[in-house]
Amino acid sequence: MDFEPFPDRIVGTARVPQERRPGAPPVPVKIIVAGGFGVGKTTTVGAISEISPLTTEAEMTMESVGVDDPGPASAKTTTTIAMDFGCVTIDQTLKLYLFGTPGQARFAFMWDDLIRGALGALVVVDTNRIDDCYPAVDYFERAGLPFVVGINTFHGQLSYRLDEVRWALAVRDAVPVISFDARFRGSVRDALLVVLDQALDRAIKLKST
Amino acid sequence: MIRPDPDDPDHPATPGVRPFLQSGSPAVRPAPRPAGPPPDEPASGLRPFVLTSGRVAGPDPNIGLETQVTAAPGAAPTRLPPEKRAIVTLCSEPLSVAEISARLRLHLGVTRILVGDLRAAGHLDVHVLDSDFPDPDTIRRVIRGLRALS
Ligand SMILES: Nc1nc2c(ncn2[C@@H]2O[C@H](COP(=O)(O)OP(=O)(O)OP(=O)(O)O)[C@@H](O)[C@H]2O)c(=O)[nH]1
Ligand SMILES: [Mg+2]
Repeated sequence: MDFEPFPDRIVGTARVPQERRPGAPPVPVKIIVAGGFGVGKTTTVGAISEISPLTTEAEMTMESVGVDDPGPASAKTTTTIAMDFGCVTIDQTLKLYLFGTPGQARFAFMWDDLIRGALGALVVVDTNRIDDCYPAVDYFERAGLPFVVGINTFHGQLSYRLDEVRWALAVRDAVPVISFDARFRGSVRDALLVVLDQALDRAIKLKST
Repeated sequence: MIRPDPDDPDHPATPGVRPFLQSGSPAVRPAPRPAGPPPDEPASGLRPFVLTSGRVAGPDPNIGLETQVTAAPGAAPTRLPPEKRAIVTLCSEPLSVAEISARLRLHLGVTRILVGDLRAAGHLDVHVLDSDFPDPDTIRRVIRGLRALS
């Protein structure tokens, strides 16, 4: 294994810029970008991130859920998956991280380490394979994490109406179902702002209780 | 057409609509998953954990993907194994755990354990947040910051 950090990062003598106090890192916040394989998660993260998406390997617990036998005997397995992420510096004291996590139809995933402290999630959907997003929708719903269903329009147009997708997913009315284009920064930004609205609602409710 | 209501306990959605709706009960707040491979994991699954001296006890759940890590002031990372030294060197600037993992191509679970060890040994400062739930003001600042993006 290669442990050489990038050469520009090897700093023998401290080169700390004046304006950054050493030992005062930004407060990190995160949003999860989830969905089935090939729906545009990496494209979404890359469109808004100030760094090109980085990839890390992580463990995810998967539970196969057969449609025909939804019994409790379904097998749990821990699988190594590739997760990519990017970030947006809000200011020197606040940094937004985006984590793109794969999901797969017929596998419920459990990833409590990932969603711990998360503001919310954007579930990316390709309308040609709507059921690929079931595990993500199901998981965030059960975990009580605010989420938004974002239909990636791919070719600039929707093959289904938003209310048809909402019906197929059976999400609560409070869950926004929107369309966006994963390739464009402004479009991804607007989708994330919908997630943040949901997150703000929850944070206000939590604070008042 | 009657839309299935996932919140209706008497008439739960049918498996044909969204099969996962019916599995399990709602969890208000997930408990941290005991990490590390289960004991019955095949040997190949354990390989990354050689770096952590074969330890399978999970990493500190407070060390998240986005948790910021900095080198402790004055700590000299001499006589550390190469992967630990690389982590300390990288963290001369604040870096997230995920970024450490990606840049050093270390498995995320291994990275979290090594970061926890390095903190315990006084080489790293791990900036754990007070609360798991971001407060409304922080979220408002993120919203303003994103809106300002062109
Ligand atoms: N035309 C078009 N192509 C897109 C769009 N979004 C993604 N793609 C393409 O679709 C393919 C898959 O996109 P990715 O962003 O890699 O999808 P992903 O969800 O990260 O895929 P996995 O990580 O493999 O699960 C890539 O070739 C993208 O270039 C889109 O909005 N329009
Ligand atoms: Mg991807």
